[in-house]
Amino acid sequence: MISLSYFLVFAAALFCIGLYGVLARKNAIAILMGIELMLNAVVINLIAFWRFRNFENITGQAFAVIVFAIAAAEVAVGLALFIAIYRRRHTIAADEIDLLKW
Amino acid sequence: MEFIMNYLLTLILFSPVLIAIVVILLPQEEVKLVRWVAFLGSLIPLALSLILWFSFNPDQPGFQFQEQYAWYEPINSSYHVGVDGISLTMVMLTTLLTPLAILASYTIKDRVKLYMFFFLMLEMGMLGVFLSLDLLVFFVFWELGLVPMYFLINQWGSETGEREIWGRKIKARTYASFKFMIYTMAGSLGLLLAIQLIGVVAGTFDMLILFEQMGSLKGTLMGLPVGTVKTIAFWAFVIAFAIKVPVWPFHTWLPDAHTEAPTAGSMILAGVLLKLGAYGFLRLVLPLYPTEAKYYAGVLALLATLAIIFGALASYGQNDFKRLVAYSSVNHMGFVILGIAAAAFAINTESATLALNGAVLQMFNHGLSAAGMFFLVGVIYERTHTRDLNEYGGLFPLIPVYGGILIFTSMASLGLPGLGGFISEFLVVRGTWPIFTFFTILSMIGLFFTGAYILKGIKQVLHGPLNERWKGHLSEINVREVFIITPLMILMLLVGVWPAVLLDVINRAVMMFYSLYS
Amino acid sequence: METSTLVWLLPVPPLLAFFLIIFLTNRSKRLSHTLGILGALLSFIGSMVIMVLAFQSGHLGEHPFTSVINWFPTGDTWFQIGVWVDPLTVATLFFVAWTVLMIFIYSVGYQNFGQPKGDHDAPGLPPHGATVEDEHGHKHRVPSIEPLYSRFFAFISLFAFGMYVLVVSNNLLTLFVGWEIMGLCSYLLIGFWYAKPSARAAAIKAFLTTRVGDVVMLLGLVYLYSLAGSLSYNVIFSEETLHLLTSTSTPILGVSAAVIIGIFLFVGTIGKSAQWPLHVWLPDAMEGPTPVSAMIHAATMVSAGVYLVIRVFPIISAGMVHGEPTLTMNIMAFIGAFTGLFAATIAVAQNDVKRVLAYSTISQLGYMIAAIGIGAYVAAAFHLFTHAFFKALLFLGSGSVIHGVEHGVLHTGEDIDPQDMFNMGGLRKKMPITFWTFLIGGLALSGFPFLTAGFWSKDEILADAFAHSSWIVLIVLALAALLTAFYTMRQITLTFLGKPRTESAEHAVESKWTMTLPLIFLAGFAIVAGWPGIPLDFPVIGGFIPNFIHEFVGETLAEHPEAITFNWFPLLISLGVSLGGLFLGWFVYRDIPAGAPDPLKKALGPVYKILQNKYYFDELYDFIFVRPAYWISRTFTYLWLDRKIIDGILHFIARVTFSIGGILRNYIDKPIVNGFGDFVGESVKRIGRSARYIQTGRVQQYMVMALIIAFGTLFYYLFFLSQP
Repeated sequence: MISLSYFLVFAAALFCIGLYGVLARKNAIAILMGIELMLNAVVINLIAFWRFRNFENITGQAFAVIVFAIAAAEVAVGLALFIAIYRRRHTIAADEIDLLKW
Repeated sequence: MEFIMNYLLTLILFSPVLIAIVVILLPQEEVKLVRWVAFLGSLIPLALSLILWFSFNPDQPGFQFQEQYAWYEPINSSYHVGVDGISLTMVMLTTLLTPLAILASYTIKDRVKLYMFFFLMLEMGMLGVFLSLDLLVFFVFWELGLVPMYFLINQWGSETGEREIWGRKIKARTYASFKFMIYTMAGSLGLLLAIQLIGVVAGTFDMLILFEQMGSLKGTLMGLPVGTVKTIAFWAFVIAFAIKVPVWPFHTWLPDAHTEAPTAGSMILAGVLLKLGAYGFLRLVLPLYPTEAKYYAGVLALLATLAIIFGALASYGQNDFKRLVAYSSVNHMGFVILGIAAAAFAINTESATLALNGAVLQMFNHGLSAAGMFFLVGVIYERTHTRDLNEYGGLFPLIPVYGGILIFTSMASLGLPGLGGFISEFLVVRGTWPIFTFFTILSMIGLFFTGAYILKGIKQVLHGPLNERWKGHLSEINVREVFIITPLMILMLLVGVWPAVLLDVINRAVMMFYSLYS
Repeated sequence: METSTLVWLLPVPPLLAFFLIIFLTNRSKRLSHTLGILGALLSFIGSMVIMVLAFQSGHLGEHPFTSVINWFPTGDTWFQIGVWVDPLTVATLFFVAWTVLMIFIYSVGYQNFGQPKGDHDAPGLPPHGATVEDEHGHKHRVPSIEPLYSRFFAFISLFAFGMYVLVVSNNLLTLFVGWEIMGLCSYLLIGFWYAKPSARAAAIKAFLTTRVGDVVMLLGLVYLYSLAGSLSYNVIFSEETLHLLTSTSTPILGVSAAVIIGIFLFVGTIGKSAQWPLHVWLPDAMEGPTPVSAMIHAATMVSAGVYLVIRVFPIISAGMVHGEPTLTMNIMAFIGAFTGLFAATIAVAQNDVKRVLAYSTISQLGYMIAAIGIGAYVAAAFHLFTHAFFKALLFLGSGSVIHGVEHGVLHTGEDIDPQDMFNMGGLRKKMPITFWTFLIGGLALSGFPFLTAGFWSKDEILADAFAHSSWIVLIVLALAALLTAFYTMRQITLTFLGKPRTESAEHAVESKWTMTLPLIFLAGFAIVAGWPGIPLDFPVIGGFIPNFIHEFVGETLAEHPEAITFNWFPLLISLGVSLGGLFLGWFVYRDIPAGAPDPLKKALGPVYKILQNKYYFDELYDFIFVRPAYWISRTFTYLWLDRKIIDGILHFIARVTFSIGGILRNYIDKPIVNGFGDFVGESVKRIGRSARYIQTGRVQQYMVMALIIAFGTLFYYLFFLSQP
């Protein structure tokens, strides 16, 4: 029997990979992918907690579905922004997008 | 009609504002239209005040046509207006002189719209002072009249002339307008404080209530007994009004302001604005502070006498025609104050009544004659562009009609019997004689020099060998100008020949007002 | 029509004429003078009707024609004005109506009506003459018409109005109104040729000198009014009022109010009737259109001053016990007698034909004042009455003379003063009507015995002085009378007798009928006007005509004055001085050749110079009043007091305020208030400047920072705050 902690450890690892991607990668798409990973880690957590702790209600699943929807929307908006930035500046490297500098 | 009668005073008071708004909405380039709208519009308050004059009941004591609306409830101040015979006379004077002054301003070419706007606002300010029965409202209007006048002098005043001060040369009109503004403001400051003192002590600003309660006020304010507070307030009032009248030695703003103001501005300044101060004495100082007024009446009489004497002397010493006329105002208003001082000393005696009758009538008469004189100075100035008496000379043959009018108006100013000024001066002197005999005798020096300066003016302008320089360059007074001076001349003659026209109203008002409230 | 209505209307026609001329007819000279004369004529007729009614009424003194109306309110009462015709009014009206009408008619001729327009005449200057061409082509210089002809008639109409108002008033205030209106008219008429600087100065001098008297008189009116509560004659001359006036004492020397009021009113008279020390204006008043305004200033207006003191005689004499004169009367007697002699001495040394008359007027008015001063009420009124006629006659006559000589001057083109008597002589034959009438007037003025009016009135004054034992007055007046006869005969001799001394006098012509007719009328009065005043007990001729003046005019007073008994002594004095003076005058001046100096010059030496310069009063007044007044006005009051001191104080206050403002700004506002504000701003800026380096603009770095802070907070929370 796989216990809850397995799921949690897995989700934490996935989250850390995602966080690393977000913080360390230069390519904006990679950052976006990192964010996706972090979201998925959260979803795994939700599902795991639902399964082990609150099986009667479907709130955990509902939450997971909403997160998917948001993630999809976010990717759509994010990619659209990147395309717009790319068109103007011909790059999507994160450290070159620094117009808000002092 | 019902509506008009119910809100007559408010209509009189604010109709100039409406006209002013209409004027400001007219197109800038339509100078003629602006002038005519302003002139015809200013006839509305005149018409309304004629209605007021004829529906006014001189036998009824107290104030008539009263209107009262809450204005500032937390401090018990209300928009309260009303007239009695004294204010009625002044309202008539104001609404009469304003259209004439506007008509006299037809020669203004620069920013006519704004000029007319200021003029109409000025009328409202002056009317407000005469009509209001609430100290705070009184003060508001008192100050409101100041602002338009400042701009009239500062912007449309005489363009030439410089005044050296502290080694720097500044434009005379700038100097004059500043002096006028600052001086009057300095007086008003004390007035405002005094009004607030009274408001705090009495708990109301309503004059009618104050007239009755002022004598019986008790208690202390900030540790000061009421008597002291009243003395302080009395002096604050007196100084504010004395500056406006002006009483010697607070008079030096007057010759500057009058000389530099545009013609119509001088007309209103001498004709009405000076009366505000005297009106303040009559309406507020005498009934609110009878004891203090009586106590200090001698000082006031002394200052008035000095104003009469030094005003006349300084006028005689002028070479500037307009300044000569300006100083004559100091001289003439001195008689008003002398009468008021005498009345303050012995209120409700026959002499006091006579002195007050004379003072109020003198206010009216001086309004006519001073406005007329300033207008005539303006007429000659517009043609010659000089005010220096030594540069005129022998102009009578060139401008006989103007000359005749000038002599007539001068004589009215001199107080020739048969013209207005005489009766009022006689009444003042008669009223003052038993009370301040010595000052009355001294004031005769001033009366004598009145003759001297008037004749000096006529001598230098009209008489003597013709100054060839003006031959062919001087046009006779035109129809518009004759139209302006005619009503003034008719009134001067009417008041002189049949003084009862005004005195009947004034006399009853004076008797009823001061027997009620002092 | 009620009599009083007629009296009310009496002053109106000239006033209407004034307004009509000013507003409507001033372009038509003929219409203007017609209106003017018509106005004067209507008033004249009215006056005569009133006189007839007055004689019929009987006891006019006790029951004068009077009616009043309310003029203006004075507290609970009204100030009433009205008309009042008592015997004194009637007598005054009579001579005023006659002389005024005569002046109006005379003016038509004097101002050259019907003559052509002048070649170079300008308004405000006397006409200089015109050149006309006769049928033979000869060019002549003839007098030209006055350019301001209509205006002149307007002014004298207004003048007549003023005089009528003064005479018919029932109170002192409207009397004062008429008084001042005449003052204005005299100003306008003296300054009629305003373009002449001398006329302009004379006009101002006249107005201001009389104004000195007027303001004091105003005080008198005011004082009287405040004590009596009225200015109407019936009140102020009533027993109670007079008692009140005498019993009220004043702080000044303890004299009664009656004395003070009397003196104040009398000062008005001093100004108006040109008594010393305010006499200086009258001789200069001759600057006006020669005879007419001069005569107005001699026969009419100046009479107003005497009329006033006669009118207020009850007040002046209030407190008189046993015929002992009051202080006011003593002062009047002194000033009157002094002026009488003083002016007569000046007249002796004047060469201008009008100036002589001007000084003689001053002198004669002094006579009347002195008469009032010794209590000779009727005599004063009588002399006022006769004097008006013969002085009017003399002035008009002198105008006629000047006119004639001017005609000669125009004809010959000589450059001489047509008014200087030494340029005349022998006019007797050239201007017979003028000569004879002038002679009658002159004799009347000198008091030529029995025939002339002047004799009777003057004699009455001397007789009164004698009867009241006023010896000094008697002697002074007698001396003055001697001088009067002397200078009058000097004038007549120099002007009319002997031979012409200049070419112009040779070519003088008699004036037109409009001028001579009034002369003839007035000459008649200069004789008959004295007859009604012949004392009843006068030897031989007394009693033929009832002593009408005494009975009638004396009735005006509540207490009918007693007629003095005849005495030979004053009569002899009268006879002596007048005949002696006349003879002396003729004797000294009977044969003066052309260019010869005045014989008096040699006889009097330096005194003559003093007399000729009028005792230097003009110079004196100029020195002690006029210049200092201007200095006080301009330099002291305006430049020093107002500009330097008062404005100086204001500017000082402004400057102090300005400096305080500067101090506040420089030492408080700038360093402290502004300094604090700046400090805060600067500090924030500095902090911001050093902190801005973390603002890299890179999202990932922000996120790392957020992570660090989040962890930091978490650690802080876990390890420090959640400690038990």
